[in-house]
Amino acid sequence: MKSKFSRRQVLAGTGGAAAGLAALSLSPTKIFAGEKTVKIGFLAALTGDAAGWGLPGLYGVEIWAEQVNAAGGIEMGGDKYKVEVISYDDEFDAIKATIGAKKLLFEDEVSIILMLGVTPVLAVKDFMTRNKMLVTTLVPTDISADAPYLFAPVEVHPFYNVTAVDWISRNMPHIKTAAIATQNDELGLTSLATYRAAFEVAGIEVIEENLFGFEVTDFAPVVSKLIASNPDLITWDTAYPDYVNLLTEQAFLQGYKGQFVNCTLDQYDHILAKTSKEFLEGFLWQFPDLDDPVMQGGGTHFDNAAAFYQTYAERYPGAWTAVSWEYAAALEMWKIAVGKADSFDPPKVSEALRSLSPVPHAFGDAEWWGEDFFGVNSAALGKWPVVQMQNGKAVIVEMGDVRAWVDKHLDVLKKHFAAVGL
Amino acid sequence: MTEQELILQTIMNSLIASSFTATFAVGLVLIFGIMQIINFAHGELYMVGAFATWYLYSENGVPFFAAIGLAILLTAAIGFVMERGLFRPMRGNLFGGLIVSVGMLFILQTLAVYLFGQGLMKNITPYFKESWHAFGIESVTVSHSRLLVFAVAAFILAAFWFFLRRTKLGWAMRACAQNPEAAALQGISISKISILAMVISAAMAGGGGAVMAQLVRITPQMGHSVIVTALIVMIVGGVGSLEGALIASVAYSFFHTFVTTYIGGEVATILGLVLMLVVLIIKPTGIMGERESV
Repeated sequence: MKSKFSRRQVLAGTGGAAAGLAALSLSPTKIFAGEKTVKIGFLAALTGDAAGWGLPGLYGVEIWAEQVNAAGGIEMGGDKYKVEVISYDDEFDAIKATIGAKKLLFEDEVSIILMLGVTPVLAVKDFMTRNKMLVTTLVPTDISADAPYLFAPVEVHPFYNVTAVDWISRNMPHIKTAAIATQNDELGLTSLATYRAAFEVAGIEVIEENLFGFEVTDFAPVVSKLIASNPDLITWDTAYPDYVNLLTEQAFLQGYKGQFVNCTLDQYDHILAKTSKEFLEGFLWQFPDLDDPVMQGGGTHFDNAAAFYQTYAERYPGAWTAVSWEYAAALEMWKIAVGKADSFDPPKVSEALRSLSPVPHAFGDAEWWGEDFFGVNSAALGKWPVVQMQNGKAVIVEMGDVRAWVDKHLDVLKKHFAAVGL
Repeated sequence: MTEQELILQTIMNSLIASSFTATFAVGLVLIFGIMQIINFAHGELYMVGAFATWYLYSENGVPFFAAIGLAILLTAAIGFVMERGLFRPMRGNLFGGLIVSVGMLFILQTLAVYLFGQGLMKNITPYFKESWHAFGIESVTVSHSRLLVFAVAAFILAAFWFFLRRTKLGWAMRACAQNPEAAALQGISISKISILAMVISAAMAGGGGAVMAQLVRITPQMGHSVIVTALIVMIVGGVGSLEGALIASVAYSFFHTFVTTYIGGEVATILGLVLMLVVLIIKPTGIMGERESV
């Protein structure tokens, strides 16, 4: 059979494909021959609905690795090791996460795996435990007594949501009613339970709730019903960044004028562009920009937070989300544990990590917590900021004490978790 | 907002949803009527329209309405290529047409991922940021972006109706849909009509994507949910019936929007499928479908 392509076309095509593959394989964390390296696995969604909580985190990890490598690397056993980041896109899917976990463990032989949480983590949890791999999650509801190498060292989703509601109860006493719209999945439901508990404690009545699925493309009806209940406050609970973007825009277009409180307000520059500075003024959420003055020392534990934020903002403009710094913060803690264990061996580092007291959390000293809730103390619980939109910029208005709130109202929290079947 | 105002707001939301669904579904039905092919890639033409608008308007500063026009031209051109390259050899072959359209679906999705990635949200700064207070009621609002969807959909559907009913080419198209062999015997070129139908259908999908781009998440997979809705509408309306598709679009959109508002988004999708089953049990040919006799 005669080919339809000329020799020149085939060569050009092959050359283009090779160039493309070569470009794809380039990593910003360059390692040179002869250097000792330690490999870090990043297993989270880089595409799909949850990409907003994966891809920006990988960007942050790469910046962290660059900074560590520029400073000579990580010291262990008297030697310096350069950090190499190996990522795998799990698409927030259990099967893809399992494939990625096996690759990172057996082919790449990483020393730690950073994950987002829920479905992918639950899919690989037993496998990771059997292989004694240190794994971090951003969702502490993943941790359990039978998974000793699984930690939630940074984010304690959704428990920190109580801090903003608590702040509202003290600073906005006129707010008496709330309406909630939430995506119907593990992230949304746990957050729903937490908001219900926080509102109950704050004396705020929930007058409307709307659970939506992932097939919803038009949020106008969802928002219409919420606004129709005339709430003093609306929350989108924990929803994917794209959903928060569209829901907030709808509220703007439908003339909502009340208060917002939310878990996240990712890529808020885009939301500002779609709405207005005046509309978003006062919006409360839980994730700061790391150039906030509060994050520069004063008991916080994220070295060079402002420089990290500036580098990130310059390199990935408009991509800053809740997770942009979180995986990097987990690595910062891991680095301390490596130093303490003087080893990269995951079980030894896990042991060293668990022995940290206080836990040097990005937002200040924390303690390992979770036995009352999950049967094991593997989540770092301490302080968490309340962030408010002020003149188009995220500003930390308070460092809330999540631990104190949870200790005081654990029964209320447990009641609402049970009510949503968790 | 009072209960009456919420009902009025929901009616407005339903009208906007109906107009888009009708435009999208009519294009799908048109291709089935002329070529006996269910174009599963119809949702991806919608996706291409949205991506093209985002890329031209938001990324490259092309004026908004020019971007919409170019998006429509692009999808119409893709429709032309699809007809000549894929559907013409498969005309009348339901299974073969299905296979090639699914193949095209994957090609367009992969191209979108390859060209634009699918990591973070593709944001379009809205061309319109204001809302219209319907009938002067402060709490009942329709954003100008949504009014644009309604206006474009109404214009396209009216123009299409005029074309079908008032032009010779439109009569030829209807003749081809009703009886291709008889139409051919009258000297009507089935191939030319097929190309025209595919170009119109693709332009409708692309135009829908272009005006919806401001309102929805722009992702390579965004065509999935709309094609499912269009297929429900097509079946409920009566496969191959343009009038049926219009009626079903309005009925389904009102039903779905009211259930989403008053019960919840997840329940609305389930009940929408139940509605389709109920219609098919009562009238297996759909609302406007005709029974075939052997």
